[in-house]
Amino acid sequence: MTLLTMRGIEKSFGSFRALKGVDFDLADGEVHALVGENGAGKSTLMKVLSGVLRPDGGAITVQDRPVTLNGVADARGCGIVMVYQELALVPSLTVAENLFLGDLHGIVRYGPLRRRATQLMTDIGLDIDPGREVSVLSIGEQQLVEIAGALARKGRILVLDEPTAALSAAETDRLFALIERVRREGVGVVYISHRLEEVFRIADRVTVLRDGELVGTRSVPELAPGDVVRMMVGRDVRQYQRARQEDGAGVLGTFRFSADGLEAHEIALRRGEIVGLAGVVGSGRSRVAETLFGLGGAGAWNDQPIRSPREAIRRGIMLVPADRKTQGLVLELAIRNNLSLATLAKISRLGVLDFRSEEAQARGWIERLSVRPPQPAKPVVELSGGNQQKIVIGKALAIEPKVLLLDEPTRGVDVGARAEIYDVIAELSGEGIGVLLSSSDTEELIGLADRILVFREGRVTAELAAPFRNEELVAHVTGAL
Amino acid sequence: MLPARSDWTALLGRFGLVLALIALIIALSLQSDRFLTYSNIINILRQISINAIIACGMTMVIIGRGIDLSVGSLLAFTGVVGASIAVAGASPWLAIAGALGLGLLLGLWNGAFVAYAGIAPFVVTLAGLTMYRGGALAYTEGRPISGMPDLIQYLGYGDFIGIPVPIWIMVGFLLLSHFILRHTSLGRAIYAIGGNEEAARLSGLPVRRVKLFTYAYCGVAAALASMVLTGRLNSAQPSAGVMFELDAIAAVVVGGTSLFGGRGGVFGTLVGALIIGVINNGMNILDVPSFYQQIVKGGVILTALVIERLVAMRR
Repeated sequence: MTLLTMRGIEKSFGSFRALKGVDFDLADGEVHALVGENGAGKSTLMKVLSGVLRPDGGAITVQDRPVTLNGVADARGCGIVMVYQELALVPSLTVAENLFLGDLHGIVRYGPLRRRATQLMTDIGLDIDPGREVSVLSIGEQQLVEIAGALARKGRILVLDEPTAALSAAETDRLFALIERVRREGVGVVYISHRLEEVFRIADRVTVLRDGELVGTRSVPELAPGDVVRMMVGRDVRQYQRARQEDGAGVLGTFRFSADGLEAHEIALRRGEIVGLAGVVGSGRSRVAETLFGLGGAGAWNDQPIRSPREAIRRGIMLVPADRKTQGLVLELAIRNNLSLATLAKISRLGVLDFRSEEAQARGWIERLSVRPPQPAKPVVELSGGNQQKIVIGKALAIEPKVLLLDEPTRGVDVGARAEIYDVIAELSGEGIGVLLSSSDTEELIGLADRILVFREGRVTAELAAPFRNEELVAHVTGAL
Repeated sequence: MLPARSDWTALLGRFGLVLALIALIIALSLQSDRFLTYSNIINILRQISINAIIACGMTMVIIGRGIDLSVGSLLAFTGVVGASIAVAGASPWLAIAGALGLGLLLGLWNGAFVAYAGIAPFVVTLAGLTMYRGGALAYTEGRPISGMPDLIQYLGYGDFIGIPVPIWIMVGFLLLSHFILRHTSLGRAIYAIGGNEEAARLSGLPVRRVKLFTYAYCGVAAALASMVLTGRLNSAQPSAGVMFELDAIAAVVVGGTSLFGGRGGVFGTLVGALIIGVINNGMNILDVPSFYQQIVKGGVILTALVIERLVAMRR
């Protein structure tokens, strides 16, 4: 039975047509993937569905009844529940309290509340204690609690926006098991993801959007991943492979690091070398960049300890942090002001800023990194994820680093911008800059790295040299080897 | 200029403030022909000068995502210390330097606890509010210090090419504050820290030193205002400046600086101080009883914030 149909959905922001008559439908028990590059219109379409945005045209029916969604409450009333990338749980409350937050009235009786929560968790096969505080759960567990909460609110249509972005492989498996379970009970799931392997693993159908238009809706078994990528970008894109340089370049220096839960190790870096750091969340991989940038633990470069970001930067070591919004950018500042954030001394004399030199510097980076739109005065908050990431990278390159620490450099970045970022990283290596590339995306590591260190349970368990095989790397990362 | 305001709604948000001020002036001049006269305008400017000077320092702290509740007490303390140096027969220049120096010191004290001990600015400066008031009262045993030398009187009463000295001081301090905020790397760091402290730290900015600076600057601003007030009254009162922190914060937020940091500027603060000053002055001219004046003033502050919120939501 058809749960949902959206026909000819139109939405414009000013003169920009974000959705140009898009059709979408969802059957009960179906997982329907929605894919497309950033800016293709996925989020806008889902905001229309969840009542956040009102469409300019088109019709929506839920279980064959025409509906008008004038707000999130209307959508909820129709059983439509969104689970966003940024989780909406209250960290200081328990799982049970979060699950029924919307219908706690008057005096809360904790016994029945807890029993209801336990019942719900058993029903959907989750083994999370409802009495635990949400703040102590892992991101993956929090995600599962959110979905449980959606089901508690009698959701029939569940929208998951990039649910696995912050999950480990094991957590992803748990999530997928939960999705399987809810679909069997007749819930329809809209699954938004940049990760095609997941789409092929879990979805029945896939709808591709490009530039606000519907490219097509296909049944997944009839497709190969390459077909979907072609639909997304409109051209044939092969997996990225950097042209590796000859061995024998000089030694750049040696990193040493150790921290709580991270066994001491050292990495000797050659000029222009890209060393990949692989490992699931919690493997210690992401702590390496932190220690080497003076953010905790003990990191040293050429036997001199690094105690703060300022010290690291002075010595030519720069971090591109994993979360651009909370760690990389000052969102209300303009592109040019973000690009100069780490190099204020360079664009000022006696502490007085030289706006012309700042503008010139910004234009240089905008061109080199193909930032769109190429407007130095534009606040970065208005850029797409991929272009924001380019700004963070440009800011880091402006200090003319000897060593660049890249932590998840393409997380949440669309295919086109991702290829551009890869080109920039390859260029840096050509200029002799040493790169530590920490990533949860194994294909990214394989495409870029000269060698890959695998982290598991706080220590380096393998070091792989090119040519890499993805199955082998994944096996090391997941602990299958 | 920074931050970029290509967005027309942002322009409207900023322009709207000036429009509100103009509308207010037109409305009041229609109500009374005593309002729009040269002497009354000078009068308003002189009346707002002390608040505007403090509010410049406050703007800097608030853009850095802090708050300083101690400025009123700090003004009283630095005022009586400066006045005591002056009446002891020392050079009035030394008296002024002493007041500003104490303001710097107390500002550094606030800033050190915020920046280096990581204590919430609200709490640190709330403690300062009590302590500095106590300091002023203890220092004077609760008595005012009167009979200022000519130089200090000149700061409050003097007149330079036809315009009162407090207005010159206000304008000068405003320009200095604007220059620091918009034209120096220090000012840029204040916006960056207020906008996203973590990103600022990871960009290698000296976050703690910059925060320390904002509180020190705010302390100096309050001390400067104390000298103007002492000159004006020809006396320093240990009970001076009560609630001045709220007037300063009101000018800052009415002027469009976000309490969440990272956004705003001192010209907005001047407009904010003017709006509040014009309303006070207008109500006096129209003989509105003072109890009602407070209600109106609070209403204006609330209205300004609601409008700011609406503009932000449209963005």
